[in-house]
Amino acid sequence: MVGAAMQMADGLKEQLQSLTEGVAFLWPEITLVVGLLLVLLFDLIFQNKKEVGIAAISISVLSFLLVAQCLSFVPNLEAKDLFVGLITVSSGANLFKIGFTLTALFALIMAAQSKKYAQQYFSSSEWLVSLFGLLLGAFLMTASSNLLMIYVSIEVVSISSYLLTGLGKGLKKSEAALKYLLYGAAASAVMLYGMSWLYGLTGSLDINTDTFIVGMNAAQPFTLNIAIFMVLAGVLFKLGAFPLHIWSPDVYESAPMPTVTVFSIVPKLAAVFVLFRLISSTETTDFNWQQWLGILAIGGMTIGNFSALWQRNAKRMLAYSSIAHAAFMLSGVLLFNRAGIEVTVFYAFIYLIMNLAAFYLIQVFENATGSVNFDSFRGLGKTMPYTAILLLVVMISLTGLPPVAGFNAKLFLFSAVYEGYVSTGDQIILWVFIFGLLNTVVSLFYYIRIPYLLFFKTGDQIITKQEGFRWHMAWGTFLVLPLFLLFFRSDWFVDLLNSINFVF
Amino acid sequence: MEHLLSYIVFIPLVGAALVLLTPKAYEHLYRVLAISSTGLTLLLILFAVTSFNGALVPEISGEGNLQMMEKASWFSLKLGSLGALSVDYFLGVDGLNISMVLLAGIVLFIGAIACWNIKEKKKAYFSLYLLLCTSVLGCFVALDFFLFYLFFEFMLLPMYFLIGIWGGPRREYAAIKFFLYTLAGSILILIVMIGLYNSVYDPIKTAEMAGLSMAEYAISDIQSMVLEGQIDKTEVVKSFNMLHMADSANYIPGSLLDKSGLGTLFGQPIRWIAFLAILIGFAIKLPAFPFHTWLPDAHVEAPTPLSVVLAGILLKVGGYGLIRTAYAMFPDAAFHYAWLIGFIGMFSIIYGAMNALAQKDLKKLIAFSSVSHMGFVLLGLAAMTSEGVSGAIYQMFSHGLISSMLFLIAGVIYDRTHDRMIENYGGLAHQLPKYTVFVGIAFFASLGLPGFSGFIAELFVFLGAFKSASVIGAIPAWMAVVSTLGLVLAAGYYLWTFQKMFLGKFWVKEKKWVPALKDLTIHEYLMLVPLVILIIAFGVYPSLLLDLINSGVESFIDHLTASI
Repeated sequence: MVGAAMQMADGLKEQLQSLTEGVAFLWPEITLVVGLLLVLLFDLIFQNKKEVGIAAISISVLSFLLVAQCLSFVPNLEAKDLFVGLITVSSGANLFKIGFTLTALFALIMAAQSKKYAQQYFSSSEWLVSLFGLLLGAFLMTASSNLLMIYVSIEVVSISSYLLTGLGKGLKKSEAALKYLLYGAAASAVMLYGMSWLYGLTGSLDINTDTFIVGMNAAQPFTLNIAIFMVLAGVLFKLGAFPLHIWSPDVYESAPMPTVTVFSIVPKLAAVFVLFRLISSTETTDFNWQQWLGILAIGGMTIGNFSALWQRNAKRMLAYSSIAHAAFMLSGVLLFNRAGIEVTVFYAFIYLIMNLAAFYLIQVFENATGSVNFDSFRGLGKTMPYTAILLLVVMISLTGLPPVAGFNAKLFLFSAVYEGYVSTGDQIILWVFIFGLLNTVVSLFYYIRIPYLLFFKTGDQIITKQEGFRWHMAWGTFLVLPLFLLFFRSDWFVDLLNSINFVF
Repeated sequence: MEHLLSYIVFIPLVGAALVLLTPKAYEHLYRVLAISSTGLTLLLILFAVTSFNGALVPEISGEGNLQMMEKASWFSLKLGSLGALSVDYFLGVDGLNISMVLLAGIVLFIGAIACWNIKEKKKAYFSLYLLLCTSVLGCFVALDFFLFYLFFEFMLLPMYFLIGIWGGPRREYAAIKFFLYTLAGSILILIVMIGLYNSVYDPIKTAEMAGLSMAEYAISDIQSMVLEGQIDKTEVVKSFNMLHMADSANYIPGSLLDKSGLGTLFGQPIRWIAFLAILIGFAIKLPAFPFHTWLPDAHVEAPTPLSVVLAGILLKVGGYGLIRTAYAMFPDAAFHYAWLIGFIGMFSIIYGAMNALAQKDLKKLIAFSSVSHMGFVLLGLAAMTSEGVSGAIYQMFSHGLISSMLFLIAGVIYDRTHDRMIENYGGLAHQLPKYTVFVGIAFFASLGLPGFSGFIAELFVFLGAFKSASVIGAIPAWMAVVSTLGLVLAAGYYLWTFQKMFLGKFWVKEKKWVPALKDLTIHEYLMLVPLVILIIAFGVYPSLLLDLINSGVESFIDHLTASI
């Protein structure tokens, strides 16, 4: 009796210890929560002129987080299960978190520079609290190794996203937010239902345990396929991938620029990470990841690109472009070998930089003309030449032409896909390879349209020529330079990726 | 001189940077900068050509006897199971590209002179023009596929803007059409490039990786060690080196494009499909039927200097690319498809010429004559004989000079009246006698009259094509026979045009044109006279060029025949 009690006490002690130990690894998340609360308190306590204070707090919290994450980054960290297997910390996740923090920080900078809404973002805490919430959810998404944890973190991201979309007034906004909410709720419900099937099949929620993997392998193939499909629904929704992409153009169009920037990067990359997790624990099962993801990738890049062709609004165009890019990332994910993981992460980070730059520069033009419709870009290459050239570079990179990093991202990705075809002989991978490259030609057609309007057309609005230096030029250059740098020396980033211990 | 080729490639880029840095107040300096930087490049190229030793026989499938070679590691990285990937900054010239470098120098310099009268947005224009120069030159000397592809793709963007901003009324349509067509072609090339570098290794770097000293082992030792699996797979360093890609011993055993491993796709060996992809990629650039439809549009809309550069040098990138990549890397497939290439060449010759016959716009006529003349390049290559390949290279060189002159001539009349319709002119010889002389020379040179460079080129192509059946059996002789019809048609459209526009009684459609119709200016002489001299010089003294290319072509043919 005494021995058993002792044992139980020991077990409890161990669990407690693992909890306290775990907290130390969660310092980025804790920092975020503290920042969130600070903003909230500041908003409650002070009455007038809160903008500066709120902006200062949020920017300094995120800057601190970014610097601290970079300084404490260890590439070959051993994966560690925390909180009795709810969370796994790994270097790969930490790298993604750095990217998320950078994106959020840049969204704040964009918000501060936004002509239309600068006051709105910081005058009360809603926007920032939702943003921090989204970031927190994304952090947890990269760390979750338990089905429930995955669900909860995806929900945190989703709820924050609904809020971010619906903030402020306007019929269009409400419509987009409601659409987003309905789609999202349905996707989450299906995912949760799928998770319950998985739990039923395996008796475990922790996807890294042997029980889970053994259970999955023993499961009846048909049931298993249905269950994984249902779980995929939620992930694909966050990834904004075909066929669960329909919400994104509307949301992108109506949400303000900084919010869209975050939407187009953070949840997507987090979803890529979750996909890696799911694949790693179900790789050995009957579910044919390569075939299904291959179909989704081919469908996504084709639908995304061809839909983008017809857009007349820069934000909607970028929404469809991000659907296509999500599909490109899927084609790296489906390989699920070391090379596939590395090229996907490389692609993801280049995508991050490109999208930051694209949205930032489009906001600069929006500030000048008040619109992101294609017509408003006419002739701006004359009045704002430097910004226009920067945007041209970004569009070239999004297309995937040299001499910018978008080319390397595509080259490495398709090399890995090619190699994947050679080593497995799987026909679907070959089709992904062919479709992916041919889609590049299609994508040129719409990416080049904005530079085309900037340089070839003459505008009717009168905007005085911007002479001399503007701050947005410095920020734009800061974002575009890495694209050149990573073209000429992509080995720097790849060497870092090589040293990272990707464990899922 | 060390790094001569780098200077040649990057001096225009420096010029572009200078143009960008020069403030608007000194606008008149832009064209001076453009002319002086392309002029300096031309001087360096002439220096390179004179110091080029034509007697050295290059290896084609290796770096032996490559001249003015520059090689530095650019970056190398490891990508998981993909193994190591290394990209070099690798330039060099041999008999296959030296003539193209020379042609590029001449055409780009003359094109820069032709830019003299550009009126609007000069800063953007001249910086883009110089950027284009760098990418074209880089394309011809780069021997690393990654580097080559970089330059190849980078030609598109400046050209897109140059046509789209400074072009004619339908410039936007022409610009995007040009861009999309060529990009589609280069994506096909990219597909093959990815396949190639995944299949080819660098024996020297592999030896380094495996810890073997090159002093003890020859390259062939390393190759046999890889073949027998004595060197571990992870130590095999993959390579973008275009010369290594030409040596079938450098293919990783069992890889998709390995000759012995012949995997199939859609029932065809993958090597053959790769060859077809690369063939289409460069045939779009060349352009050959049925991928030529972008060319007339681009030419008609492009401003004169751009037409000169486009016809004079950009099309040759397609021909050169075929020689250096498609033929050198896939000789077996090239032999298998020789009938197809020969047929496309023959068809382009006839089809282009017939289209030219039907044109009313002078520039469109010249554009279609370009399609016809580039058909000779394909025919010569398809023959796979040394005469045929020499003829193909000679044709590219000669067409570069002649088409430059033709477009300059079209530009002369367009500058004066802003009209290029053939039917709107008559008897110009009375009003513009000197101009007529130059037009006559250009037309006769283009239709292949003996004494001009075009004659030598076409003669060699026909010789090669006729001989092919008996020497190597690549294409049947009737293709050559049919192609000669192209000469007759060319004579037809040129003489007709000449008669309609220049002979008879002086007449123009609009009265107000008459005072504008002044004879050639000094600036135009400056461009036309050197071209005439060159066209005649290379017409009467072909060994000027043949001495440069002969040993390269011989070695190239040996390489082809050895691998069939």
